[in-house]
Amino acid sequence: MTAAIALEERQNNRYEQLEQLRRQMAAVSGKVGSRWRAAEHPADVLPDSESLLAVPDALAELLPAGLPKGTVAVLSGARSLPVGIVAAVTSAGGHAAVVGLPDFGLLAAAEMGADLSRLAVIPKPGTDPVEVAAVLMDGMDLVVLGLAGRSVPPTRARAVVARARQRGCTLLVTQGQWQGAPLRMDARVCGYEITGGRSGVPVSGCGRISRVQVSIRARGRT
Amino acid sequence: MTARVLAIWCMDWPAVAAAAAAGLPPTTQVAVTLANRVVACSAAAREVGVRRGLRRREAQARCPQVHVAAADPARDARFFEGVIVAVDDVVPRAEVLRPGLLVLPVRGAARYFGSEQVAAERLVDAVAAAGAECQIGIADQLPTAVFAARVGRVVDPGQDATFLSELSIRQLAGEPSLSGPGRVELSDLLWRMGIRTLGQFAALPRGDVASRFGADAVVAHRFARGEPGRGPYGRELPPDLDAVLHCDPPIERVDAAAFAGRTLAAALHRSLEEAGVGCTRLAIHAVTAGGGELTRVWRCAEPLTEDATADRVRWQLDGWLTSRRAGKGGPTGPVTMLRLEPVEVVSAEALQLPLWGCLGEEDRLRARRALIRVQGLLGQEAVQVPVLSGGRGPAERITLTPLGDELVPRAAPDRPWPGQLPQPAPTVIFGDTGGQERSDSGMNTGGQERSDSGMNTGGQERSDSGMNTGGQERSDPGSNPVELLDAQGDPVRVTARGVFTAEPVRLDGAGSHYRGELSWWAGPWPVDERWWDQNQEAGRSGSGRTARAQVLVADTALLLCYRQRRWYLEGVYE
Repeated sequence: MTAAIALEERQNNRYEQLEQLRRQMAAVSGKVGSRWRAAEHPADVLPDSESLLAVPDALAELLPAGLPKGTVAVLSGARSLPVGIVAAVTSAGGHAAVVGLPDFGLLAAAEMGADLSRLAVIPKPGTDPVEVAAVLMDGMDLVVLGLAGRSVPPTRARAVVARARQRGCTLLVTQGQWQGAPLRMDARVCGYEITGGRSGVPVSGCGRISRVQVSIRARGRT
Repeated sequence: MTARVLAIWCMDWPAVAAAAAAGLPPTTQVAVTLANRVVACSAAAREVGVRRGLRRREAQARCPQVHVAAADPARDARFFEGVIVAVDDVVPRAEVLRPGLLVLPVRGAARYFGSEQVAAERLVDAVAAAGAECQIGIADQLPTAVFAARVGRVVDPGQDATFLSELSIRQLAGEPSLSGPGRVELSDLLWRMGIRTLGQFAALPRGDVASRFGADAVVAHRFARGEPGRGPYGRELPPDLDAVLHCDPPIERVDAAAFAGRTLAAALHRSLEEAGVGCTRLAIHAVTAGGGELTRVWRCAEPLTEDATADRVRWQLDGWLTSRRAGKGGPTGPVTMLRLEPVEVVSAEALQLPLWGCLGEEDRLRARRALIRVQGLLGQEAVQVPVLSGGRGPAERITLTPLGDELVPRAAPDRPWPGQLPQPAPTVIFGDTGGQERSDSGMNTGGQERSDSGMNTGGQERSDSGMNTGGQERSDPGSNPVELLDAQGDPVRVTARGVFTAEPVRLDGAGSHYRGELSWWAGPWPVDERWWDQNQEAGRSGSGRTARAQVLVADTALLLCYRQRRWYLEGVYE
């Protein structure tokens, strides 16, 4: 039955298709207990933690289908995005590793709620950071990989993507070229909130930065 | 309180051993000769005039019935074994200086038997039961105890030098097992210079002795003063737990390595189990067909299980063989011999897992295994685990520890840290410098050219700075010097009172691509720390204060740190 549906829905983009499948599965499981049928959103029935990675609340609105486990996403722009995702994943009980980003703001992650005991950093992954990330996929829920300007050829990327899917580990690639990623996110700082200004306008010499506003644009492969 | 040493001296041991070898009673006259000279004689022979140094013929002339035997160190040692066993029964773990002379730490025995005298009596009885006579000396230091044994004395604690001061300077070379080469010449020389007792020698200044007579004389001088030296060990040697595998055929492939790892781990854990210990640090040695030797030490927070050991051996061999194929060093040929050596062991109780496990334990172990595997590829220090620490700057508030080490924050995070920056912290933190000296030497000279040449892409430049300053200490900002300028283009500094010398207007960073007019700034916030510490003061802020400031340049907020009269880019809010 699912195969037939998948054929019908081929025109739709990937997220709608996933949503559709999830609804089907929810309907199936709903038949077992009557209590479940009463759920208002059938999609809620499937526990998100099994297929989706925890993301920051702001990001959850942006990605209607969430960030599925076992995918590869390319991040660019402001660092708050990977820091926030690391914080969300570790606070939700997942394990994360940060490879090749020696300037990763760990304190900022901790302030965003990260559980540092579930986090490991490899600031200097040597000549082949992709290999290190591939090894880490065995045990981690999230690997943030800084390529430091390198570009990964499509053949290599494909092997790593397959491994990520098999292990259920999400790979976030930053600072480099990665061919054929299904999801790209770009974050830009769009403003700062500064305390101590006069009628909302910051005055030089006064105040501190109290909040960083980041706008994130996500692009999925259709 | 120094450990007291007891020496057991069996008189004329070569003669006693020679008599025993010939089946003669110990009371017969025996002379042991070497190169036609008497080197040892029994007490009975001495009574009738046989002395050390006599020619054999002359000894036979003085005592016609003397039994003459050639010197044989192997025979001496063989017969002394019985005495060692007898002593071991009373006080274990005695050390043999030479056949005929034993030393052991007496503290435990004295406590067990009640006093040193009682312990000495027991030992004399035990040696007598083994068929030998002995004298016992007790003193603070090992050489003193040996000389005390010659006169059968117990030297009171702290009286070593007093006891030795009476002895002739010739005694310096009296015990060959305690003196280095050239000691005879030294004692001869001292005698001729008019120094007749050890007391006179001990009274000489150490510097004079060292400059005139050399290193061995210093050792002798320490002995003459009764100063602490190397005492008997007195502890059980750790059991030999190594597991060795000779690989035939030599290992060249990873699957063979996995098999070898499994076999070796089983062997190692059998011996560990028998010893009742768990291994927390494991050294993997490999010998290659080319004769090369490779060693890597694996360290783990919890004792290794058999599977974990096998995994580590496999990963290590995998790493070595892979690096060999890639032509990046590694073994010079296939691996022919593997040895696992438990470098650090703990008692096996530490290996008890909780009965029910705990939530997420499986995931935690899985993550840990992956990280340990990366450690195998890159080295112990490569994988770092963060822990919140105390401090004022954003970099100081995270302590990075290599995975496997104990997580100890450098400073207590729960104390109040006045001057700590409020939330949010910058999400990009520069300042991976390997310490104060490194950043001082490197950044003023090389840093500027480097960044000038590589200004094109932000990502490239950032990685450059991270690589050049490779240390793991995220304590000191400093890899990104910037210039904070006022309206006239002069550099802005922070005064001793903690204010800017002028209003900052421009940021010009040679080492940063954040440059331009400031649209907003705040600060400086002086950092008051370590002013009580002389060294830190000199190194950190001896030439000016430390302060932080936030600036907004080209719609990017930056955190700057002022240190040693310079501004550094410490973090970016992005």
